[in-house]
Amino acid sequence: MQTSRARLFKEYKEVQREKGADPDIQLVCDDSNIFKWTALIKGPSETPFEGGVFQLAFAIPEQYPLQPPQVRFLTKIFHPNVHFKTGEICLDILKNAWSPAWTLQSVCRAIIALMAHPEPDSPLNCDSGNLLRSGDVRGYQSMARMYTRLAAMPKKG
Amino acid sequence: MDSDDDMHDANDVESMDEDFYSGEADDYYNSDNADVDDYEFVEDADADSDVFTARRHQQNYIILKEEDIRQRQENDITGVAGVLSIPRDAAITLLRHYNWSVSKVHDAWFSDEDRVRKAVGLLAKPVVEHPNLREFTCGICFESHQRDKIMSVACGHPFCITCWAGYISTSIIDGPGCLTLRCPDPSCGAAVGQDMINLLARKEEKAKYSQYLLRSYIEDNRKTKWCPAPGCEYAVEFAAGSEGYDVSCLCSFNFCWNCTEEAHRPVDCGTVGRWIMKNSAESENMNWILANSKPCPKCKRPIEKNQGCMHMTCTPPCKFEFCWLCLGAWTDHGERTGGFYACNRYEAAKQEGAYDEAERRREMAKNSLERYTHYYERWASNQSSRQKALADLHQMQTVHLDILSDAQCQPESQLKFIIEAWQQIVECRRVLKWTYAYGYYLAEYEHAKKQFFEYLQGEAESGLERLHQCAEKELHQFLDDESPSSNFNDFRTKLAGLTSVTRNYFENLVRALENGLSDVESHGGCSRAASSKNGGSSKASRGGGRGKGIASTRAGCSRTDDASHWSCDQCTYANARSATTCKMCQHRR
Ligand SMILES: [Zn+2]
Ligand SMILES: [Zn+2]
Ligand SMILES: [Zn+2]
Ligand SMILES: [Zn+2]
Ligand SMILES: [Zn+2]
Ligand SMILES: [Zn+2]
Ligand SMILES: [Zn+2]
Repeated sequence: MQTSRARLFKEYKEVQREKGADPDIQLVCDDSNIFKWTALIKGPSETPFEGGVFQLAFAIPEQYPLQPPQVRFLTKIFHPNVHFKTGEICLDILKNAWSPAWTLQSVCRAIIALMAHPEPDSPLNCDSGNLLRSGDVRGYQSMARMYTRLAAMPKKG
Repeated sequence: MDSDDDMHDANDVESMDEDFYSGEADDYYNSDNADVDDYEFVEDADADSDVFTARRHQQNYIILKEEDIRQRQENDITGVAGVLSIPRDAAITLLRHYNWSVSKVHDAWFSDEDRVRKAVGLLAKPVVEHPNLREFTCGICFESHQRDKIMSVACGHPFCITCWAGYISTSIIDGPGCLTLRCPDPSCGAAVGQDMINLLARKEEKAKYSQYLLRSYIEDNRKTKWCPAPGCEYAVEFAAGSEGYDVSCLCSFNFCWNCTEEAHRPVDCGTVGRWIMKNSAESENMNWILANSKPCPKCKRPIEKNQGCMHMTCTPPCKFEFCWLCLGAWTDHGERTGGFYACNRYEAAKQEGAYDEAERRREMAKNSLERYTHYYERWASNQSSRQKALADLHQMQTVHLDILSDAQCQPESQLKFIIEAWQQIVECRRVLKWTYAYGYYLAEYEHAKKQFFEYLQGEAESGLERLHQCAEKELHQFLDDESPSSNFNDFRTKLAGLTSVTRNYFENLVRALENGLSDVESHGGCSRAASSKNGGSSKASRGGGRGKGIASTRAGCSRTDDASHWSCDQCTYANARSATTCKMCQHRR
């Protein structure tokens, strides 16, 4: 518990110090609980998520960083590796490929990379995965873009 | 049962080898302690005993005890370390990677050492050089530490001792994946070997690690397996190219090498698998555990599903990736399902299934359930009968043989025929049990085959009942005798004779079923003669074996020789006219 708190505090200070260093990621620690974080990440360019801002929720276990954090999307997203209802993410580094040398920041970077490079072979969202598997890239992109517009973009006017 | 009209009379005991009664067969039992070797091929042990010549299959396997396993593993490790001039823990890492095959390690290493080093994470030199710093930042806790509080493996990535200990401990708790532990730096693949574990892990963690290492030596090696008997800690090494799959462990459990189920001749592994699946499907009712954990299709360890994802990855070292819904390998999912992830659609389709079909289905289900119940009951009752016989055999060996020896003034070595009888009963119950799985999967339309099969099975049941009866009931009266009974030698002749005849019958039965009853075409169905004398003795049948199915198909068959067959005097089997000796018991015409 003490170790994880100390480590998270290090990450917190690093985030404060490096504020704005990575314009695509904004990590925020909960006001009252250092084991709860949220992040705002920008949809990567040249993807159907471009222009969207997506919110992630982190729940950090006491054994962190020996155990990985639990992360899910709070913003609705149409992506093969993200559960459409719960926002759960299927990503190896959040499961058996976790290393204690990863940080919350590097997890965010890995999720951005996943948005740009979906893995349709391990789908949590079957409809989305099937579109890509059947080669219907246009169909996938238009669905994903529509949800980005509906859920991840600030409403105009 | 009246022993006078036994169809298997004990005639052929005379022809049996005299050694049967002398003590020579003892060699078999004492050979366990012989100073030949730590372990020995079982076939050597009973080659000299006529009693066991009936065992047709060569036994090309060795049973390994824990000391044997450790010894072999140690030899392999020191051998590889010596030949490759590498440290011990590097040799372990290599051997584990190549499934403990020394020759594969040699081949790979000497053909491309660099590639092998890269694949298993044995770095030749550090990737980060340490300048002469006094303080380092640990890559896990991000704190600065004095040089003496920092450790690293071959790569040089610095982590503090506390973080290393936590990292190692977590991976050991997670399971045997700790055997392939790598440097915590995600970009680095440097192996963390046993030397590091021994420096940093707690005592019980080290013990667990070394246990995983031992398990890996058996489980990752294609030539070895653990004995599947609960509580048994022996392993079996099986020689490739062996004829049969049956393995008999030192713990007395007999199992099939191929599928590790209990020995199941004459039924093949596939049928056994289907039968066992069927049994569990029928008995388990929507159990939460079943719904949330499934055996990994590759290593059979239960994998719990705690995520929404259907893409399952088994725990290391297996790491097999499979689909939760269809249990197929994840890699061949795209093509097989037409490029779609369609496995989940099945359930939905079934729920929406056409309503008008429901009734017809219910009817079919009822019939098939009845049919299944018929076979299952018989399978299960032979199973429990076998358990009982095993217990009786044990009781015989530990208690009754002593008493009998005193009561009848017979040296124990001359009472071996009783043990033989009980061993035969246990074996026959096993065979009989599996004939019910065989029967269940025998196609209904193969009418002649089915009839022939049921005839053979019925004869087997009644023959075995006779033997079981004799070994159980008739024996008992001799236990209480005040003085040696004059009938004892008759009893000996009878029991030994029944044992021998039953053994023959069952061996022929096994052979016939293994050949898929291929003789049936030349024989034709109903000309099989039924044993009219014993046909109705189902009340004597303890195993509950002789079902009404058998009785009805056998009705109408009378025991008369037709033109193309002759009925054996000894066992009543209807032999083809061309045969001069009985196919079942070798009795001359
Ligand atoms: Zn490293
Ligand atoms: Zn540290
Ligand atoms: Zn065993
Ligand atoms: Zn098998
Ligand atoms: Zn597995
Ligand atoms: Zn998945
Ligand atoms: Zn015969």
